[in-house]
Amino acid sequence: MVGLSLGEKHFIQGGIAQDLRSDGRKRLTYRPLYVETGVIPQANGSARVRIGATEVVSSVKAELGKPGSLQPDKGRVTIYVDCSPTAAPMFEGRGGDELSTDLSVALQRCLLGGKSGAGAGIDLSSLIVVEGKICWDLYIDCLVISSDGNLLDTLGAAIKLAASFLISFVTDMRNSNNIILILFLKAALSNTGIPRVHVAAGASGDDNTEVDISDEEFLQFDTSDIPVIVTLTKIGRHYIVDATSEEESEMNSAVSISVNRKGHICGLTKRGGAGLDPSIILDMISVAKHVSEQLINKLDSEIAAAEAGEEES
Amino acid sequence: MEYVSPEGLRLDGRRPMEMRQIRAEIGAVAKADGSAVFEMGNTKVIAAVYGPREVQHRSQQMSDQALVRCEYSMANFSTGDRMRKPKGDRRSTEISLVIRQTMEACILTHLMPRSQIDIFVQVLQADGGTRSACINAATLALADAGIPLRDLVTSCSAGYLNSTPLLDLNYVEDSAGGPDVTVGFLPKLDKVTLLQVQNLLNCVILGRFSALVVGKMDSKLPIDTFENVMQLAIEGCKAIANYIREILLENTKQLEYRRGL
Repeated sequence: MVGLSLGEKHFIQGGIAQDLRSDGRKRLTYRPLYVETGVIPQANGSARVRIGATEVVSSVKAELGKPGSLQPDKGRVTIYVDCSPTAAPMFEGRGGDELSTDLSVALQRCLLGGKSGAGAGIDLSSLIVVEGKICWDLYIDCLVISSDGNLLDTLGAAIKLAASFLISFVTDMRNSNNIILILFLKAALSNTGIPRVHVAAGASGDDNTEVDISDEEFLQFDTSDIPVIVTLTKIGRHYIVDATSEEESEMNSAVSISVNRKGHICGLTKRGGAGLDPSIILDMISVAKHVSEQLINKLDSEIAAAEAGEEES
Repeated sequence: MEYVSPEGLRLDGRRPMEMRQIRAEIGAVAKADGSAVFEMGNTKVIAAVYGPREVQHRSQQMSDQALVRCEYSMANFSTGDRMRKPKGDRRSTEISLVIRQTMEACILTHLMPRSQIDIFVQVLQADGGTRSACINAATLALADAGIPLRDLVTSCSAGYLNSTPLLDLNYVEDSAGGPDVTVGFLPKLDKVTLLQVQNLLNCVILGRFSALVVGKMDSKLPIDTFENVMQLAIEGCKAIANYIREILLENTKQLEYRRGL
């Protein structure tokens, strides 16, 4: 994929050892981050994030559905990543499937917690409408448009931003036989408001449950707790943040840690064949916590700037 | 359903001969040899070109010309309802083939023997006319990659609803069931390179034959009406060609400026 000569490899490794990478960054510095929200009008929330030359688009769609029988008090979130062939010719046809699955699973692990839904970065119980009957189903779809390393971090940032901007409008439609309600969420500020839903008395059976969406009362869909993902790549004896694809081809191993605003770890993935001493992993975790603060602040300022822009218009 | 109001306005407020707003951007994908984003109204498409480069499958190598490959894919979130299977369905395969044939006709392939040119088109938002937007984006991406072209290929669609020829159909107008003509046009050579007509089940054009039988609508579409619709699409293509030329000129000026010329 990335062909590097021996001289180039030494250059990269030597540079990292001296805290000076090929593009002039220090080991723990991110590339410039560009963010655009609301890029997909028909989705409830969307964001386009570019870190260096890596670009992803994510969209969040919310639909009403029935909660699973095993978790009647929780909503559902599905994360799906697709690698577009525009990012690399090898993603053509089914070539990108392996990487897509890898990324989807890693994101699910970092953001969604265990099978029972416990410990999820996104609070699934806030998505429930009627326990056991109706819940919000969030479909998070991401598309990798351009790939130059550090896909997980970019995807994590895009999902956090998209979820923060769930845009919507309410409408309902009735026909003579059934009460069919088509719902969308109401336009909201960064902490998405999911409209409080009142269930009509005497409702029975799934399809005919009459649901009335309130315009004024909002449940706070707390997205400030969604973690960001920080990937630390170990090359030689040092770790770097935000590796480019050339640096990634040189890695011994990489650890991706998702950290939320409070500094709690929501998930951890280790990639790469080289073994790591446990003390190094603990060290990497503390470095990741430190770096994540920067990233979270940057994303928050982007959210605030976009909100301010929205309020003006 | 009324697609053209008595005052002559379409569902989105356009006049029948009015095209949607177009916007293009070159160089969206940094890693590709050439790339472009093309928007026609709410339809948004990214094209990336990789090549000319070494052929991946030796068996497909051609000793006298370049191999052109194309893949069309739609994003999960591009349509109103979330799509389950973004790749590999028949429509995608058909459109990939159409784009490949159209672009291959205008690339000077004999200048790059034994090499491969990959064109990848990704639909981000679909609102009718995705085929056309893809061809326009691919043209820009090929130009950005510096691949020698015979001429720019531009594409536009036109249809016929409520007895009015309409230019640049959006999704609602496209699904209305009237005839839908997509034209690929070479502006400098003044030649039509792609002509696709849909929703005309039995279409017979024979010399002086004066009518086309339209199976679905069970009415006769006079051949001069069909010619009008095709001509309208060609005019649309010419307008797009002018815009594309402006964008390319602007891009070249930027490149000159950055090189200090």
